[in-house]
Amino acid sequence: MSRVAYNTLVTLARSFAGFTIGFAVAVGLGLLYTVSETTRGLVKALNTILQSISVLIWIVVFVMLFGVLSPLPPVLVAASVSLPIVLSSVVSGLESSSKRLAELAAVLEVPRSRYFLDFLLPSLAPSLAGASRAALGVALRISVVAEAFGASGGIGFMISNYYSLAEPEGVFGWGMLLVALMIALDKGVLEHLEVKASRWRVET
Amino acid sequence: MEGGDITLKARGIWKSFNGLTVLAGVSLSVRRGEVVAIVGPNGSGKTTLLRILAGLEAPDEGEVEARGVVKIVFQDNLLLPWKRLRENIALGLLYRRIPRREIARRVEWAARLLNFVEHLDKYPWEVSGGTARKAAIARVLVLDPDILLLDEPLAGLDVATRRSLMESLYNVAKREGKTVVVVDHNFEVVSEYSDRVYVLSHPPARIEAVIDLKSIPKSERLPALYRSLSSIASSRPQD
Repeated sequence: MSRVAYNTLVTLARSFAGFTIGFAVAVGLGLLYTVSETTRGLVKALNTILQSISVLIWIVVFVMLFGVLSPLPPVLVAASVSLPIVLSSVVSGLESSSKRLAELAAVLEVPRSRYFLDFLLPSLAPSLAGASRAALGVALRISVVAEAFGASGGIGFMISNYYSLAEPEGVFGWGMLLVALMIALDKGVLEHLEVKASRWRVET
Repeated sequence: MEGGDITLKARGIWKSFNGLTVLAGVSLSVRRGEVVAIVGPNGSGKTTLLRILAGLEAPDEGEVEARGVVKIVFQDNLLLPWKRLRENIALGLLYRRIPRREIARRVEWAARLLNFVEHLDKYPWEVSGGTARKAAIARVLVLDPDILLLDEPLAGLDVATRRSLMESLYNVAKREGKTVVVVDHNFEVVSEYSDRVYVLSHPPARIEAVIDLKSIPKSERLPALYRSLSSIASSRPQD
């Protein structure tokens, strides 16, 4: 495998892994949000705190915790920046979710857990798809910063290497690759997924 | 009205919202297999009364007694747009440990009864308002309720669909022995297919009249209903 392909795949894998963790935690917190007034307050407070934490803090903390050679910091940083984006979408969707949907679930005697999974979560799909598109983009952009700070391999690591060697051509080349990757991912995959997830909202 | 076949009875229902009395001692009773309509001016608390009968709202005073399972069909259908009609109708059955084959059988039965079986595999946004309304009714019918409450089921439908839907509801009551209570403004169709009509007054609403349509020739039903409604209009409180 070529060096370009290897480092691109490493960055993509870390970003996807981080985004997946952030998405899963956000959905889990969304379920917690529907349990009671207390958990609702807790999730909202947590979301506010997460949104207030600088990416720099996440990077430094994770690199200090796991070391510069660990593959974990870029993954965890991607998760940390994805989480508040997806969680904000989940929380605002749940806040505006129809009281009528809850009444329908009551008429159909739907259990609480199934109500979240079968009613609320799919109703959030269009806004969640939009938020995921934004979150994955941010995860990719930020994970390369974490790679530059401390990681072996990845686009960020390569940019950092060329910077240390004072080779602007290398920095520019890897930077252009990142931009091309972002555009290809957004226009080639994420945009289509968002349109598909929003199809029924457009039609109704 | 007395008798052992009464399946739904409301006694002295009072309900206020923000200090404004909407229902003022409304009482009604419905027999098994009857189609009963509740009509009245806008804002007379018809939907509130239906929601109280369904148990979605608690009355401030009075009580509701229902023999059997009561289910309500909402005015806005509330079909889940990401599910096909077949899946929407089956929704309430999925959580009851009913075998898949039985679920499919019930869905087909309800769709045939309401005459829209050819649309079962379409999404709600692919069908007409009338078919969507029928699907919403079917979703409740498959749960085998004893009492079916419908909030403005005919609203927004064309004349032919209104008539066919009301005829279907009439068949549900007479063939399946369900009790059907309808709130609607479409007096022509309602008067044709209902056994009795409760007429609510302006708020604070009470029962202004109960018209036993079965005892009136078909041609006289609509005029009788209009006479009752015009007497309410003339007694409208001044703003």
